[in-house]
Amino acid sequence: MKFIRLTALLLVGAASLPANAALKVLATTPDWGALTQELGGDKVNVYVATTALQDVHRVEAKPSLVARARSADLVVATGAELEVGWLPVLIQESGNANIQKGARGYFEAASALRLLEVPSQVDRAMGDIHPDGNPHVQLDPHNILAVAHALTTRLAQLDPGQAAYYAARAKDFDTRWDAATKTWEAKAAPLRGAQVVIMHRDQVYLCHWLGLVEVASIEPKPGVPPTAAYLGTLVGKLTTTPPKLILLNAYNDPKAASWLSERIHTPAVTLPFSVGGSPEAKDLFGLFDDTINKLLAAFK
Amino acid sequence: MNELTTDFSILLPALIAGCLVAISHVPLGQQVLSRGIVFIDLAIAQVAALGVIIANRFELPIEGWGAQAAAAAAALAGALLLTWTERKRPEVQEALIGILFVLASTAQILLLANDPHGGENLKDLLAGQILWVSNAQLIRAAVLTAVFALVWFTWREHIGRIGFYVLFAFVVTSSVQLVGVYLVFTTLIVPAVATYRHAPGRQLLYGYLLAIGSYVVGLGVSLVTDLPSSPVIVWAMGVLGLIVHLTGRNGAVARAPH
Repeated sequence: MKFIRLTALLLVGAASLPANAALKVLATTPDWGALTQELGGDKVNVYVATTALQDVHRVEAKPSLVARARSADLVVATGAELEVGWLPVLIQESGNANIQKGARGYFEAASALRLLEVPSQVDRAMGDIHPDGNPHVQLDPHNILAVAHALTTRLAQLDPGQAAYYAARAKDFDTRWDAATKTWEAKAAPLRGAQVVIMHRDQVYLCHWLGLVEVASIEPKPGVPPTAAYLGTLVGKLTTTPPKLILLNAYNDPKAASWLSERIHTPAVTLPFSVGGSPEAKDLFGLFDDTINKLLAAFK
Repeated sequence: MNELTTDFSILLPALIAGCLVAISHVPLGQQVLSRGIVFIDLAIAQVAALGVIIANRFELPIEGWGAQAAAAAAALAGALLLTWTERKRPEVQEALIGILFVLASTAQILLLANDPHGGENLKDLLAGQILWVSNAQLIRAAVLTAVFALVWFTWREHIGRIGFYVLFAFVVTSSVQLVGVYLVFTTLIVPAVATYRHAPGRQLLYGYLLAIGSYVVGLGVSLVTDLPSSPVIVWAMGVLGLIVHLTGRNGAVARAPH
């Protein structure tokens, strides 16, 4: 837990040093907080609403969160209904005109992306389905880059005096990220085509990026706990054709995954999922380094 | 200075919500404790949530007044059921309340077995967080509290058993949405337990002072430490309640002679 706190403190602390000119940013997840920090440097003061070990669907109300919503110049959210349980209420109750939906101070990462799994029709019987598509977008580095470009434009619009500064930082980030992405893709090449069991629909972008093949998910429908019959079928099916890995996230309860892991003799690997989700995932680069390393270590 | 003023204005609606909840819950809690039905608020809150989910199953609108009406109707039905059981089986009333709680909670799980997303949204309707309180909610709560105070302090002798359960159902359904179930339980039970050994004439006053004082202290500590407000208030009331309880023994002994 400590490193999570530390990461959050570092993010907030590093950003609270600059003078009053800094843009006040409210980021909904550690990933968008880290990205805004990469792009905004000392011209932004970033507050992150959730930690990597928290389900971002739900948030406890802390005084500092309400205070930041009132004073924020910019909200950086995922969108696609990921934060629908708390962000609309927070923004509405803040009375802060700058960050209302549609205003320049409201940014959704999803607006810069083409989401996977957009349902052709939304039926409540399908489970925890987001009608705009799967919002757990951060585990594909190409998504991070697309969001970075859109976010840089938005920062420059909000703070035109520093537009050149943001552009320079974005260019630098672009170069480093591109190089890192190539390294990750080269390292992860042996994983392509590997069959994996996932927990929930939130590793979909990672699988899509690395070419992992999802053969089953532990939750029969997103957000629905497995029934006895479902688990029986799952074990039967996976014993005959065992997958290479079971993937779960730092914030998931490991019980279901370790239960399955024991029965089908397949390693379960816990991935950081978000910045701060493991001691190594200190920033966005660390998040992907650690994710790839953990996958490779378990794959052997 | 400016930052500090902003922070106080954040806490003001929460403090008003806390005071409104305290006005009704401190006297209700004394009744609940003396009747030995401590977990009734948890049961009523679950029944109210179940009502909203059932209404949703029948495709009734769940936004705003629709949800409120469904919650209130279910809570009312639960209250009438408990009135009846208290008359028929008074010796096991508390156990029956416990059973109602688990039945209402698990019925929600079964109804929502294939619908977790909608389920989460619906449950959020009935789980308030004290810092999110809106002005519209405060106005509704103020009206309800005024009605409660009028009925309770004028006609309490005449409302009888049914009146008590009905009043309780309406008050708790509203307050759970305002401040959440932990604070409702705490505000109901802790002041009652803390003051029951004090002189009868002072119990209500001490209960009010304890409850409102705990909201002030808890919100203040939450602001300084930046911890989630509701659990901090619960702990403030727990600690202050213990102190009030311990002073009660002496007070009762000192006052015993006359």
